[in-house]
Amino acid sequence: MATPYCVMNPLTTVRIPRLLTRPGELMVRAGESVEPGQIVAQSVEPADFRIVEVARELEVPVKKANAMLKVERGQAIVEGDILAARGGLSGQVCRAPISGTVVGVGRGRLLLEADPEVVRLAALVPGYVVEARGDEGVVIETIGGLIEALWGNGKEAYGILRMVVRDAQHPIRATHINASSQGTILVGGATVDDESIVQAAGVQVRGMIIGSLPASLMARAQEAPFPIVAIEGIGTAPMNQTAFSLLRSLDGRDAAVSGNIGVRWREKRPYIVVPMPTQAGRSIDANGRLAVGDRVRVLRGDHRAQSGTVAHLLQGLVQLETGARMPGAAVTLTEGETIQVPYVNIERLL
Amino acid sequence: MTEAPSIESILVADCGTVSTKLMLIDRVADSYRFAAQTEARTTGGAPWNDLSVGVVQAVQELESITGRRLYAAGRIITPRQDLDGVDAFVITLNAVLPLRVVLAGLVEEMSLESGRRAVAGTYATIEATLSRQGNLRSPQETWARTIRDTAPDVVLLVGGVDGGARRPVIELAEAIALAASMLEKDHRPSVLYAGNAALRSQIAKLLGDITRVVIVDNVHPSAETEHLGPAQNALEQFYTEDRLRVAPGVENLSAWSRLPFVPVANAFSRVVDFLWHREGNMDRGVLGVDVGAATTTMAANFSGRSYINVYNHGTASGIIDWVQAHSLDDLLRWIPDRLDVDSLLAMLHNTELLPSTVPQSPLEASVALAVAREMLRSTLDVARSTWDTTGATFGGQEVMPRLDPIVISGGGIVHVPRPGHALLATLDGVQPVGISTLLLDVNRAAPAIGAIAGIKPLIAASALEAGALVSLGTVISPVGQAKPGDTVLRLRIGYDGGTTLDVEAHYGELEIWPLPVGQRATLEIRPHRRFDIGMGQGQGGKVEVLGGLVGLVVDARGRPLELPRDGDQRRRVLKRWTLDVGG
Repeated sequence: MATPYCVMNPLTTVRIPRLLTRPGELMVRAGESVEPGQIVAQSVEPADFRIVEVARELEVPVKKANAMLKVERGQAIVEGDILAARGGLSGQVCRAPISGTVVGVGRGRLLLEADPEVVRLAALVPGYVVEARGDEGVVIETIGGLIEALWGNGKEAYGILRMVVRDAQHPIRATHINASSQGTILVGGATVDDESIVQAAGVQVRGMIIGSLPASLMARAQEAPFPIVAIEGIGTAPMNQTAFSLLRSLDGRDAAVSGNIGVRWREKRPYIVVPMPTQAGRSIDANGRLAVGDRVRVLRGDHRAQSGTVAHLLQGLVQLETGARMPGAAVTLTEGETIQVPYVNIERLL
Repeated sequence: MTEAPSIESILVADCGTVSTKLMLIDRVADSYRFAAQTEARTTGGAPWNDLSVGVVQAVQELESITGRRLYAAGRIITPRQDLDGVDAFVITLNAVLPLRVVLAGLVEEMSLESGRRAVAGTYATIEATLSRQGNLRSPQETWARTIRDTAPDVVLLVGGVDGGARRPVIELAEAIALAASMLEKDHRPSVLYAGNAALRSQIAKLLGDITRVVIVDNVHPSAETEHLGPAQNALEQFYTEDRLRVAPGVENLSAWSRLPFVPVANAFSRVVDFLWHREGNMDRGVLGVDVGAATTTMAANFSGRSYINVYNHGTASGIIDWVQAHSLDDLLRWIPDRLDVDSLLAMLHNTELLPSTVPQSPLEASVALAVAREMLRSTLDVARSTWDTTGATFGGQEVMPRLDPIVISGGGIVHVPRPGHALLATLDGVQPVGISTLLLDVNRAAPAIGAIAGIKPLIAASALEAGALVSLGTVISPVGQAKPGDTVLRLRIGYDGGTTLDVEAHYGELEIWPLPVGQRATLEIRPHRRFDIGMGQGQGGKVEVLGGLVGLVVDARGRPLELPRDGDQRRRVLKRWTLDVGG
């Protein structure tokens, strides 16, 4: 059986789908090169609309309301325009509550539709469009580092990675953030606190990468104007050593951060992409089976969020502290200890 | 077994939200038995986006276990060719997004409540409810905006008893028409009309040119009657057509099987129906609980009538939504260790982010059990309101109807470390009364058996009788009030070998006596005069009961079960109960 995986790779071929939330128009073609801020697709959000109860507002029977209309279907209107009037200039009037177009008339009512809003989707990463998906969006390919995270706050940005702590045990603190942090993506080892998020917003950082986000800070993190991604999810666990070492080696490079975790039933993993000026990267085998020597991360229990290497695939069953017995592997953690973990609680690091 | 001599083997794929299970059922002499079972990760999501990938991985595992070729040339080998392949390939499926429904209706306690119960009968979520409640200034605009912004799959329009209110229903229909006309044709919701029958032609005329309209019987045809079946069937049909048949990779699976897909809940329900007909007791129902990673299903049968309720929260996915609608205290009260709110929330979030993982520490296991209990309680709240339990009432009290047996299935409860944990979570979550046998679906085979029952009922019955469900034991749950420690009932347990054991059960305790799997015992039960075990107040008698993995259990903790308010005392009690059922 294929073992679940998480990508933490310094040089691989990265394919990033950039898809609209509703059908729209592509602004680039397959084969074209794109820059992070370039718009690759756009869609029109459904416009606001209003039903104006003309008959009720003018206090006339529905049958008489049509005769009092001052607008017709298809006509553009501006907020405050007179839509219908009764009894000349001194009488009652019915005004447009929004600017837009009259799209429906009937039964003593008007249907007004506001001007639609265009939503634009940027490439986020530099690379080439390798797939144009009709009216849905594009897939962009780039070569570089890719690190997947467990949780993100839904926001995206491109900036310069800046490691602000010495090791994976250290959280981001307000003292790490100053005017020189503007435009950077701060990287910490463990957690973050409320004050640091507020201060980071104040100096306009582009993003924040941490080990875990404390549950008490989830609302604050959702409000932050920049992406926050937590490699290990929610809680206080420090970042696994594999991810931390990789991010430290990429300090100072440009990176794209996506904190998008999708919605229920359509979950996604947040990611960090660090483009590299090279032509080839290692491909990822999503269907590989766990083997001795594989790098892995432990997902549950006391050793959660620790990375290591598979020492053996156990013949018998692993006895868990809970009393359950399950097939599993012996994993030598980066810290040196060898532990037994059930397969279901292991993720390959590719 | 005389039916279908040509069917020697069946392969069942059960594609759940987290894992895909493959079960091979072979004919052995006169009966059908589970020959082998494998499991792979469900691959409906990224990076695979193809359910058939997980099925093939599980099939390959099955081939290596059995040494039998099942898959060749990109398909399951069917019909069987000598020693290769199987005679039938059956697929049950729930690894897809539930149907998104907007419910529109008139009166909260009548049509809207019936509408909610109809939706609860399948894999569907109510995204918004439209009604006149809240004195909306411009209700049609608000309704239309809600539908347009929600863009549901289906709008279920209910309201008005037959021949009753007309204008308010038409106003709702007009808002639906307006909203639908503002959406792209491909994204318009279907409309299921289950309201005032007198308006059917008007509704069809108003909405028929704009979108697909399906008209069924009124869910609330009169003030006193509720009629959910046709609306539930139509919603199930929408789910099958709009979700199951378009799931990623389903085209491959369809090409390998000529049999229709079965939603897991419906397949599970068939097992419950079979058990009810086998037991044939009009004075009690049969209950099946399936606690999955993303959904919790309750299937019940009372007096031959079956009921399905799907709750769109499970032990991993949807738990954060559940917490937002309920309270963390509801979970904390079941945890026998001190745990702060932030740590609990972190565990729940991470479980949702990694739904295929299992608890590894005792604390993680107790959180998982707490979640399972609350999923059962929440699902039961909805399910009970749909049951007509006239024949299974119990002493006129506000307690559960009599249920025997209770089938326990689903990865969220079957995979707990010890059988006693599954029993305890079920007792706490369901709170059965009287005498019930608890059956554990150890291999999570019940949906597969139910799916087979749809094509070959006798094969399904044979597989069920061959031990697919393992007894956890018989539970006696007396109903009444006493002081902690008071004697609630006296028992004489007569074992098969002729030995007897005289024991007492005390109020507030969970008492367990040995009675292994496969053994039967005769009980002489003498309840205290203030207690009822389903034979009448203070009435006892002789019954024959079945042993199980846990044994013979008397749950003398009272109904409804109340936990001590003091935190330390509650934790002590919870630890004691956990130890009672095996630690």
